[in-house]
Amino acid sequence: MSTSRESILAAVRANQPEEVPLPTVPIYSGEASLERFTEVLRSIGGEVVQVAGPEHLESALLQLFPATYQCASTLVKATVAVDTQTPTDILEAVDLAVLQGEIGVAENGAIWLPEQNMLNRALPFITQHLVLVLDQRNLVATMHEAYAQLPSAGGYGVFVAGPSKTADIEQSLVIGAHGARSLVVLVY
Amino acid sequence: MNHSHPELAEQFVKDAERTTWHDETLWFVRQKRDRSIYAIPEFQELRELASQIKNHTLSRLHTYLTQFEEAARANGVQVHWAANAEEHNAIVLNILRKHGAERIVKSKSMLTEECHLNPYLLQHGIQVVDTDLGERIIQFRNEPPSHVVLPAIHLKKEDVGETFHLHLGTLKGEKDPQTLTEAARLHLRTKFVSGQVAISGVNFAVAETGSVVVCTNEGNADLGVTLAKVHIACMGIEKLIPRLTDLGVFTRLLARSATGQPVTTYTSHYTKPGPGKEMHIVIVDNGRTKQLGRPDFRASLKCIRCGACMNTCPVYRRSGGHSYDFTIPGPIGAILSPNIDMHKHKSLPFASTLCGSCTDVCPVKIDIHTQLYKWRQVIGENNELPASKKWSMKLLSRVLSSPGVYGWGGKVARESLRLLPHGFTHAKALNPWAKAREMPAPPKQSFREWYEQQNSNGKA
Repeated sequence: MSTSRESILAAVRANQPEEVPLPTVPIYSGEASLERFTEVLRSIGGEVVQVAGPEHLESALLQLFPATYQCASTLVKATVAVDTQTPTDILEAVDLAVLQGEIGVAENGAIWLPEQNMLNRALPFITQHLVLVLDQRNLVATMHEAYAQLPSAGGYGVFVAGPSKTADIEQSLVIGAHGARSLVVLVY
Repeated sequence: MNHSHPELAEQFVKDAERTTWHDETLWFVRQKRDRSIYAIPEFQELRELASQIKNHTLSRLHTYLTQFEEAARANGVQVHWAANAEEHNAIVLNILRKHGAERIVKSKSMLTEECHLNPYLLQHGIQVVDTDLGERIIQFRNEPPSHVVLPAIHLKKEDVGETFHLHLGTLKGEKDPQTLTEAARLHLRTKFVSGQVAISGVNFAVAETGSVVVCTNEGNADLGVTLAKVHIACMGIEKLIPRLTDLGVFTRLLARSATGQPVTTYTSHYTKPGPGKEMHIVIVDNGRTKQLGRPDFRASLKCIRCGACMNTCPVYRRSGGHSYDFTIPGPIGAILSPNIDMHKHKSLPFASTLCGSCTDVCPVKIDIHTQLYKWRQVIGENNELPASKKWSMKLLSRVLSSPGVYGWGGKVARESLRLLPHGFTHAKALNPWAKAREMPAPPKQSFREWYEQQNSNGKA
């Protein structure tokens, strides 16, 4: 243990104010409808497409991405195999990743994607296009409801809300900064 | 070199057109923030909850730091402690040397800016690439960020076009944001895939799980961290929150307050190192424990770096971030900076109208304008006021405490403004107030004279 650890903790202990209570945070609810989720996700650059059921994913994807893509997926037929040890140059060539999302949040269009659903931690970001599949029974209204459903954050997990974007040049919104250029959510 | 805020702001406002543009751009962000928060009925309750959670965390910071460290270690994360910037930089360099890393990618972190990590690593032969687009632009230009969320907000697209033409070989005169961003995407992807180590900041550190949470729109932190073999996350001790569920409050507040978005595109939760990889967390003090011990100013440690106070501040919007000459500019920077170096930053608490707009928009309810006012008094007590301010205030206090002198002074002022030549009453050296303003036309009589006249008329 470093001496800085001890000195910082000692200074914190000496300088922290008298204890005040931790508030109870209500689990604020609201509208958890697919309409709301769709509207919000569209407003931040994402797209929602409804499919009849998980068995219709392949045909829906064929319509959305008709070109031959390097596709990585746990849900549909993949053209490139990806796992935790896949080298960067192979990941770099992935055009499309189709992954299972766990929870959709209607108030902000975010989708919880845990590590075990993403094949490789870098995949949701390095792929050119990202498709997340969501069971609409897993829609919640707010972030409070979403976190209430997460037993832990796992080893790694991310809320994805739309495609990668930036407004760093004169506040002009540009879609496709470093991560996926598009986000489609297939909802059944 | 020690320039005061008024001196540096004077440079910025020389370009009147750019000043107006800067003002309007930030006000546009402030308006987006307003629309976004009104979409949430419980927004004011969330601010109060966020404030209370932060107050509580600061009051038990010792416990939460220890709990966080223990949880992180149990997750297989290596935890380091740095008392100051030098130690922080040395720890980072040591990790890089252990891995023989020569190229690293870095996502936006105001803490590493505060510690001047980039120049330090460069001196030690390590190539650092900032991967946030705005950060990359200012890194090419060798400038510090001028805003905590929008680091290149002071630049126009023509400036970025020129910078990219020089450094990335884009066409001369190219100024389309889409084209310029695409050029940066291609350039930075080569850096991401070759970065051996990735450094990120931390938006929130969760004590109960030992996780660090990083929020970005571009995905630059996420891409850098997930591809690199080693992740180093650098955080100030004030980033802690107690529980995972507290993120429900803070993720709803952060992006809405910052840019008016419902949430950032990516909210990444890093808890364990990836398979076969390494994760380090550097916990930094660098003056924060001192601020914790100042009851009047400790609330500044609640800041979640959303930048809302900058976007709303009439002084920041018209003077630009660089005029603050501090890592964190704007109202929040003006209360953090005197804690670090009161002498150097003595002019910053005066870079405010005390209108209170910063306090009104703060998502964690920091009493920013009250603290600005308090710093002014501390600076006065410590004899750090400029002579002109000190003597004029002393004189004013004498005048205001004596009705006779006040009445006589008013009379003299009304007469002399009429009689003295404009060049004298508006001489910049004598009257800095009149630098960019006209003096009001002096009234013929004072209120007291008018009142007495009314009274005598009434009686008659």
